[in-house]
Formats: sequence, structure tokens, C-alpha cells
Amino acid sequence: MTFATITGHEQQKNILRRALSKNRIAHAYLFEGPDGIGKRLMALAFARALLCLKSTGCGDCPACRKVDHNNHPDVHLLDAEETTIKIDQVRSLQQELSLRPLEGKDKICLIDGAEQLTPGAANALLKTLEEPQPNTLIILLTSHPEKLLPTICSRCQRLPFSRLPKQQLATILCQRLDLNSTEANVLAALSDGSLKKALGQNKQLYLEKRHNLIQSLSALSSGSTIPTFSLADELATEKDLLPDILDIFQAFYRDVLLMKHGRPKEELVNLDLLESLEKQSKILSTDSLMIKLKALDSARFHLQRNVNRQLALEVMLIRMTAA
Amino acid sequence: MSYLVLARKWRPQLFDDLVGQEHVSQTLKNAISADRVHHAFLFTGARGVGKTSAARIFAKALNCLNGPTTEPCGVCPSCVEITASQGIDVFEIDGASNTGVDDIRELRENIRYLPSSSRYKIFIIDEVHMLSINAFNALLKTLEEPPAHAKFIFATTEPHKIPITILSRCQRFDFKKIGQVAVQERLRFIVDQEGIEISNASLTTIARNGGGSMRDALSTLDQVIAFCGEKVDDDDVQTLLGLVSRRLLVDTLEAVLERDTRQVLALVQKVDNHGHSFRQFCQQLVELTRALVILKVVDQPEDLVDYGQSEMQELRQFSAPVTLEDLQRLLEILIRTEADLATSHFPRLTMEMVLVRLSSLPAGVDVATLIERLETLERRLAAGLPPEVRVVERQPHPVLTDVPPPQEPVEKKSEALPVEEKADKNWAGLVEFVSSRRRPRISALLEQSSLLLLELPRLCIGMPGKYFSLADSEMRQSIQDLAADYFAARVKVEFEKLGNGDKIPPSLHEERAQQESDRQKKLRENATDHPLVKSALDIFGGTIETIKPIDKGFV
Repeated sequence: MTFATITGHEQQKNILRRALSKNRIAHAYLFEGPDGIGKRLMALAFARALLCLKSTGCGDCPACRKVDHNNHPDVHLLDAEETTIKIDQVRSLQQELSLRPLEGKDKICLIDGAEQLTPGAANALLKTLEEPQPNTLIILLTSHPEKLLPTICSRCQRLPFSRLPKQQLATILCQRLDLNSTEANVLAALSDGSLKKALGQNKQLYLEKRHNLIQSLSALSSGSTIPTFSLADELATEKDLLPDILDIFQAFYRDVLLMKHGRPKEELVNLDLLESLEKQSKILSTDSLMIKLKALDSARFHLQRNVNRQLALEVMLIRMTAA
Repeated sequence: MSYLVLARKWRPQLFDDLVGQEHVSQTLKNAISADRVHHAFLFTGARGVGKTSAARIFAKALNCLNGPTTEPCGVCPSCVEITASQGIDVFEIDGASNTGVDDIRELRENIRYLPSSSRYKIFIIDEVHMLSINAFNALLKTLEEPPAHAKFIFATTEPHKIPITILSRCQRFDFKKIGQVAVQERLRFIVDQEGIEISNASLTTIARNGGGSMRDALSTLDQVIAFCGEKVDDDDVQTLLGLVSRRLLVDTLEAVLERDTRQVLALVQKVDNHGHSFRQFCQQLVELTRALVILKVVDQPEDLVDYGQSEMQELRQFSAPVTLEDLQRLLEILIRTEADLATSHFPRLTMEMVLVRLSSLPAGVDVATLIERLETLERRLAAGLPPEVRVVERQPHPVLTDVPPPQEPVEKKSEALPVEEKADKNWAGLVEFVSSRRRPRISALLEQSSLLLLELPRLCIGMPGKYFSLADSEMRQSIQDLAADYFAARVKVEFEKLGNGDKIPPSLHEERAQQESDRQKKLRENATDHPLVKSALDIFGGTIETIKPIDKGFV
């Protein structure tokens, strides 16, 4: 993996390239940005460029290959065991970092999902993060920088990553997945700038089931009690897809909101459902749209906290239909 | 990779380098020169304000060969070793990694021996708040009376996690956040030394971004230098820090205040296109709104908000037609949104929703205006209803009683009613009154029950056995209240259970049923007696099946 093969993030690449060429590499970086946009790839590319025997990240030398195959002895990767990164993992990392590099001239440590560090682990990392051994580079990756201790953030050089622009993502999708431009646009918009998500298994959901879902949701009215409950029932069985389904609903009503306030068509997500959007934007008031969107939001909030799924969905649908 | 980040390279090495903590350095210096150095210190304060640096400087000052001195020389072996964190008599312990009681026992083992080459054995425990409770307790005796050659320095960002018994054994120093000007001066000094060209405006931005922490500011500066190289451009700093241009912010607020939802949404799109984080955007909107509020309420806002004269003028003009209430409401909602955005799944939508909501809110009215309007209304009402005015004016709180809620007309009546009218009030009236107050459960119960006694204040109600269980104390209280309202006197309600055979006055329900059947009987008699009916029966030789009244008022 080199910088060139990573999509987007030109500014971040420039910063890292410049740091490499001027030899102004900080001892700790914090890569922050949404999931699935290439932070880890970027960190690995950076590591490769740093460890490469030819100092170019050539991809041919043994060091580059080892980095690519995840078996370079000087690259340490810290991931969450189960759901958290524990203090023992940090201690063994500290032990590793106290030794000299084995092959290259630098030791590199990637901590993926730094927001999953337990409080104890995060605190244990502080001194190491402040003044590690010479020739040590620690890269923290996180999608939720606000969940990190301020004392951690303050010790790192922060490098914010933004989502991939919709247009760019759509172009890539067109090339890689052989989609037509409307489909690619819809997929790009729904996957929220995350290439990982767009290329993932949700393609079918986004492109095919979306119509049915939106149809059955917008058909509900405050009187239709039984269809409401049966839809809730149906949704509750889709445990894994549920967040994405909520995304779809949210995107739909957001489109209605935008349309109602006269925004141009290019900003909408559901370009293939324009007719239905227009119809809804005539029926619904801004207030009831807000209530619907809020109901979606609070359902998502509750679902993340392990409440009874079906109950949460029923409440959500009742609120949405009542609005 | 021999590069040291600026925060490490420019770590203060003398008390005088310690920016913004004069109260600490002066105290420590005086303690050294007066030879009154305590044996345990606790340094607390936010991140990156100089706690660890102060601890190291203090250690050097105590152990310097020419000392103890207020100005460690920095060249003697002791100073050099401490600077390189290699001192054999200065133990810098990572409190967050060595948290257990065993680590403390090791330390206690160690502390008994005299220092090998220096004056004091100094234990710096950084991040001390992470020590376990047992570890803290194991330290107590040592901390109270350590050997004469030992000094403790604790540093932490979270003093509230430290047991009170430890706190009471230490001299505590609270490090302040460093003022923006001080940070900026220090930054200027460093960039000059590093040979980097940067404008004062950019340094101000960087210093502000640090939020009172020198290390944060230096990390940011590092980031900026990494991006821009030796020559730093102002625009680059803005983009790199993700700062939204002030123009865009003012435009957004303007669109919100003009209730132009379309424009608001267009601006959100623009913010997104620029790749700004919405949280940052919201934070800056909060800052701007705060500035507007301050401009409204303070005459000389120069110290409180950080804007140039011309900008201030522009903002003042901009905020002139907006009421303070509206601005405060705006501020409140934006602050709440900022917190929501941190956890939001789809920040852009959250921002859009809030801004659309803000721009469709009706204009706020302040409480003073409302009260004024209420008073005017009162006066006019009072003028229109002269007989009641006297009653009202005798009330201690005219504002409260003058405009009674519409659903309680009886209360008003009861105040105005003459006393003799009470005689007219009877059981049936009470039941009707209860049902008119929309208490269906109580009125239904009362209809089924019969009145045993009504001698105010005593009201005795008899209930058939099957309903008696409903008559709990809560029910009694409600009936008591309602009856008190109705009779305009204090009433004491009693319930009695009625058996089947008891001789009792009929309940309203029974009475009504009785009346109904009487009426039926009379109707039948009337109908059969009617000559027309009689002749019809005679002629056709039929019988009377049913009798239906044509008109309710017939009998």
C-alpha cells in the first residue's frame, strides 16, 4: 500500500509526505475521521514509507513486503480484544517499545480504534505517548476523537480525515462495480463517504430493498395500526441490517425536507424516487418531518443501548405515523 | 527519526521559562531560598500547562551541584542527567502503569537508602490519580514522615481522584490554564528560534486552538509547520485547523435570523463541500452567537470578545434588530446541538434539522413584555366587570386570582354567591356538578350511591356493596374537594356500605329508573284511555303490543 493507491485525502497525504521528506515526523499521531475511509491504509502506507529500505515505499524490498503481509517485526498493531483495549495489552506494548528496533531503524505502533482504550489503558499509555524511546512512532486511529482523554489528544499531532466527497465515491463505484450513474450516486450518498461501506454487502439492500422499505413506510398512516405493527415486526428480524435500514429512512425524509425547502436535485439521495419525494413533500409539514426524523434518531439511540428491538421500532413507527 | 516535536524540544528548563505559572514558580523559588522545602508536593492542573516540567525543574533545582538553587545551572552532571531523564536519584514513575500496591512497596524498599550522588532522592509520580486505593494507602505513612533525604512530587490532571489523606500530606499547587497572550508570546519566541515565518494572526489562531494548554498549542504549531514548511500562510492555518471562515458563519446566522430556510440549507451544503466538520462549525456558531450576546449586554466588550474594531462594528450592526431573547434562545439551542453532534450518526442532518428549526421558530417575547400585556388585559377586564373588582381587589394576590382558568367558573361563583343560596344546593345538584367537572368515574359512582345524611359539614354517602371497594381514601379526598367546591364550605365525607335489605333512600340512578317506569305506566294508561285507541281496538279486535311516545313532551 502506498499513498498513491489510496483514494482521496490529498491534504493528509501531503502533510505526511512533507513530514517524511523534511524529517519532521512527530512521535505520535492521531488520525481521526469516520470509519472506513482509509485511515488504517494511510497509517500502513506511512509505516511502509518509513521502513522501506530504499526510503521510498517501493513495495519490492523485503521491508515493504513484510509490512504488506503484516509480519514486519517492527510494526506493532494494537486492536481491541473483544470490545476494549486492555491495560495488559498496553503494558506488553510498552515492553516492546522499550527495546531497540529489530530490522529497520524505527519502531512503529498502530493503535486502531483508540476510543476503545479502557480508562486504565489510556492512562497507562500517557507517559509512553509523551516521551517514547527515540525512533518510535505511535499512530492512534479513531473514529470518535471526543471519546479519547484530552490528555491523550494533547500529546499527539492530530490529523483529521474527512469523508470522501460523494461525487468521487460515485465515480469509483461506477468503475469498480459497473453500476449506472443513478445507482452509483444513491449508493455513494447512502454509504456516507465510506468506501468500505459502499463496497460492502449492503449493496443489495441499498439498491433493491430500499424501494420496498420506503414504500411500506410511507404507506402507513395514523389509522393503520396493524400494518404498523407488522412492519415493526418485520424490521425487528433484520438485526444486522437495522442501522442501515434506519439510514435509508433517514435519507428519504431528509430528501423530503430538502425538497420542501427548494434545494436542487443534485443534493438529494433518492434520485430514483423523485415522484414519491414530491408527493411526500406536498403532504408533510416541516414540523411533522422534524418529528419523524427525531423519532428515527431516538430509535437509533435506543437500539445502540440494547433495548428491546421490536419495542423500540414500534415506538418509532407509531411516532412517525402519528406525526 | 531524530526529530523532537516542539513541545519536547522546548520543554521549560528553568523556572523562568515556565509560562503563566508565576504563582507556582515564585512559591517554589522562595521555599528553596528560605530553605523551607516541604517533603511532598502535588501539582495539579489541566493538560499541557507545565506540571511535569515544573516537577523536573524543581528536582534539578534541589539536586543541582551548586544548589539548592533557584536557578539550576543545567550543566552539572545532576542537571544533565535529569534533563535526559536518566538521573539515578530522581525516579520518574509512571503512576498509570505502576498502579499496584507492590509497586509502592518497592518504592518504600528503595527510599530507605541514601541518595547515591546527589543531595536528595526525588520521586516524581506522574499521573498519580491512577494509583489503586491500596497503593495510596500503602504510601500514607511514608508520605507523612519520609526520611530527610526524600522528596515526593506528584503530578496529575485529576486531583479529585486522590484520597483526602494523601492530599492533606502534600503541599498542593494548582496550575492555571495559560492565557492566550502568554501562549502567543511563547509561540513567537519559539518560531523565531526555529526560523519559521508566521504571522501574528495565525499565532493567535493557534494559541486559541490550544485552549489554554501550551502543549496543545505547540502540537498544533507542529502540525502547521509540517504542512506549510518554513513559511506559513494564514489561509493554510485556517484550512488545516478546519476553521470555518467568519464570513460563512455570519451568513449562516443572518439566514437563520431572516428565516430563509433555503439559504440556510445552501450554506450547510457549502460547509460540507469545504470539508469542515460540523461539530467545529457548530462550535464556531456558538462562539459567534456568544459574541453577539456580549455585544448586546456589555458596553465595553473588548476584553471579552476577540474581534477587531471593524468586525465588532459590523457585528453590532448585524445584531441590532435582533432581540436579546432571540439570541439567547439561539445560543441555548446551538450549545445543545454541539453536544448532540458529538454522538450524532449523521452530523449533517442534525445540523440541517436544527438550523431549519431555528429559522422557523416564531420570534420570542420576553417575560417583561408578557407581564405588561397581562396587566393591561387585567385593567381592561377589571373596568368591564365592576362588581367583581371589589372582591378581586381585596385578594392579596390580584394577579393570580384575577384571571381564573376558564374551566373553574364555579369557584368564582361561590365567592360571589350570597350565603342563603346554599340552601338550594342538594344531593342531585352535587352529582350534576361533579359530572359537569368531567369526573365521570366519580359522578357514575355517586349516581349509584344514595345520600344518607347531608348536614354540612357532614356528608354521609351510602354505597351498594359491589361499589364500596371503589371508595378508597383517594376517592374520598376527591369527593371532599369537589363537594367543598360545590357547597362552598368545608365538607367531611363519610362512606357507608349498604346491605341488600337495608332501608335506604333510593340512589339517583334508582330514582330515575323509578320515574322512567312511572312515566311508562302513565303513558300506557293515557294511551289505552284515549277514545281513538279504544274505537280502533273495538273495530279491529286487536291488542296493544307496544306504546311509543311520539314526542318526549307528550305527557
